[in-house]
Amino acid sequence: MEILKYLRKDSRFRQKIHKKIFLDNLRIMGKQPYQTLKKKPITYKGISPILLTLIIILLGYTVYHNYITLQGEKTLVSSVIESNNSEVHSQIQAPHVQRDSLKFLSPMVNPEISIAKVFGLKVKRIMIDPGHGGSDPGTSGIIGTKEKNVALDIAKRLKSRLERYNYEVIMTRQEDEAVSLQKRVELANSSMADLFISIHLNYLPTRPANIIETYYFGLSFDEEVLKLAEKENTDSPYGHSEFKKILEKVNSTMKYEESYRLADSIQRSLFTNIKRIDSEVMDFGIKRAPFVVLLGVEMPSVLVEVSCLSNKVEELRLNTWNYREKIAHYIEIGILNYLRNKGALTHEAKRTEEG
Amino acid sequence: MKQKEQRKDDILFVGVDLGTSRSSISASNGTKKWNESYVGWPKDFIAAKVVGKSILFGSEALQNRLSLDLYRPLERGVIKEGIERNEEAVKELIGYLIQLAGPKEDQKIYAIVGVPADAMKVNQIAIKKAVSGFVDSVMVVSAPFAAAYGLNLLGNSLIIDIGAGTVDFCMMHGTIPDNDDQKAILTAGDYIDEQLFSYLIEKYPNSRFNRNMVRQFKETHSFVGDSSETIKVEIPVEGKPLNHDITNEMRRACESILPAIIETTSEMIAKFDPEFQIKIKNNIILSGGGSKIRGIDNYIKDALKEFGDCDVRCVEDPLFVVSDGAMLLAKDIPEKYWAEM
Ligand SMILES: Nc1ncnc2c1ncn2[C@@H]1O[C@H](COP(=O)(O)OP(=O)(O)O)[C@@H](O)[C@H]1O
Ligand SMILES: [Zn+2]
Repeated sequence: MEILKYLRKDSRFRQKIHKKIFLDNLRIMGKQPYQTLKKKPITYKGISPILLTLIIILLGYTVYHNYITLQGEKTLVSSVIESNNSEVHSQIQAPHVQRDSLKFLSPMVNPEISIAKVFGLKVKRIMIDPGHGGSDPGTSGIIGTKEKNVALDIAKRLKSRLERYNYEVIMTRQEDEAVSLQKRVELANSSMADLFISIHLNYLPTRPANIIETYYFGLSFDEEVLKLAEKENTDSPYGHSEFKKILEKVNSTMKYEESYRLADSIQRSLFTNIKRIDSEVMDFGIKRAPFVVLLGVEMPSVLVEVSCLSNKVEELRLNTWNYREKIAHYIEIGILNYLRNKGALTHEAKRTEEG
Repeated sequence: MKQKEQRKDDILFVGVDLGTSRSSISASNGTKKWNESYVGWPKDFIAAKVVGKSILFGSEALQNRLSLDLYRPLERGVIKEGIERNEEAVKELIGYLIQLAGPKEDQKIYAIVGVPADAMKVNQIAIKKAVSGFVDSVMVVSAPFAAAYGLNLLGNSLIIDIGAGTVDFCMMHGTIPDNDDQKAILTAGDYIDEQLFSYLIEKYPNSRFNRNMVRQFKETHSFVGDSSETIKVEIPVEGKPLNHDITNEMRRACESILPAIIETTSEMIAKFDPEFQIKIKNNIILSGGGSKIRGIDNYIKDALKEFGDCDVRCVEDPLFVVSDGAMLLAKDIPEKYWAEM
């Protein structure tokens, strides 16, 4: 009996596995399940989360703006900042922060539909955040190159590159000064920037490798959105406070999804181009991580580890302006690609593209 | 029932493992083949005459490397980026592997390819594209997961795959592993080669080593922990082959990857509650080429002792665990899913 029960359980588990693999593979190709799953009665689990999210957005669109401006996520955000503050740098340096796989992401990231695109959100103001500064040098290389200086220089170069297309570019610091993480978050939010890009350099104490990686902040809220929506639909109309919760979720969905896209675009451009200069460079991909700056800012935000100061050759390269300009250029390409897919290039950028 | 039988005849299910150094295929007709992940094209017209083929694979390609443009197109299970011909090389390699599996003329082929647990979407798509020209339907799946499926270890276990470029960890606990269940570290087989190489040129500055030789030494004599044997290898010195004792260097190089493995293992186990920890600790499985290092299972077991007793085993057939598991998965996945891919 026990064995039979076990076998039945086991085979059900296996069936689940088969279905999951199938769905994952469909998603990789950007497809939706077609016939196989269609025949079943529609349950909320069967509806793709992105569709559900869209429905929620459309339902709640009128109230949307009020909430974003009135409430935002500020209360939620600032309470987390304090507790996370001390961990931040160690996380930046940890070589094995969890990696992202699309298995996790895919429900929210459908290549065809971007929520921001649906709303045609415009991007005008970009905030660049050169990591560290002042008394906080960040990491440093064997011949003494400091992260704070390299990050600032690359940030400035990126700024002037983006300004050519009439984007308004603001920096969290212009000089070698210490700026707290909270201050950076406040600056970004009060300036109402549309994108936030933090620039850092990596350090791998135990390996000679040069790596590139990009972080974005993400929460595993999709399950919750689903559950909440499921609950809500049994006894609609929406209660006020419940609805607020949903809207907050949607807001972070958008930030999350857009951050992911931005991170992916920058990482791809930076890696494929640097690879031509340094064939050994390794692609550590894009990852979710709870960095304060990414959590706190209200706009799509990424943290790019553009290079690796522990690698001697790389340190030498970083000491040439030429190479720093190249890095800025590749980040710029990543940003512009992201904006192009979003349909949010400025006229100038479009013209440059066409010409 | 009838339909099932028919299905089995008409379709060849294959599992493919694309490794940095070796690739393997397991097929439902019983064929299992592996091949070094090298692809070479003759450099020019004359080279083509010399090798007598338009494309060479694996060890044959290595042997003829002077006449070839040689590619090792995979890195960590994905197509290396930046070099145009890599994609083509991967395609050829996959085509070659599938041909080795010996499908019948009118047989459909359904394939599952193991990819690194953390492979990015673009890479997964690239692999799928490369395979799709040769098969009727293809899916990708996390490689360690495929291994666990094949070994029937979906319950509570930790799989540690020691490959050339990475050591991949995958925690199985009755669900499909997610990000938190999987980790990779970069000190693996290639790293041992580098360490051994540098120890040897330091100890024997007058002898001529190369990396290929060093890797072969490793693959024949690797060990960790205590050993009463001395390891002697013949290396030419000023043209004459001389015996060299490399016992200590071998041990040091092989042991160099262990601290990170042990640290990661205990980190990953520590995240679970004590009851579950005990189950995992009794099911630590080593696979990949690096699991062939003599004494590695006992060494890890000893090192983990401070966390209580545990059991560390090596899989029997490290070359085929992933492809075998992928093939079994392919066989088990219902036809309706395959049809829709
Ligand atoms: N007997 C052995 N002892 C030690 N290392 C070995 C042995 N056999 C193979 N290896 C190493 O294992 C690695 C390849 O393992 P494999 O699982 O095939 O990895 P990948 O999938 O990355 O190609 C190589 O670094 C190879 O040198
Ligand atoms: Zn930093």
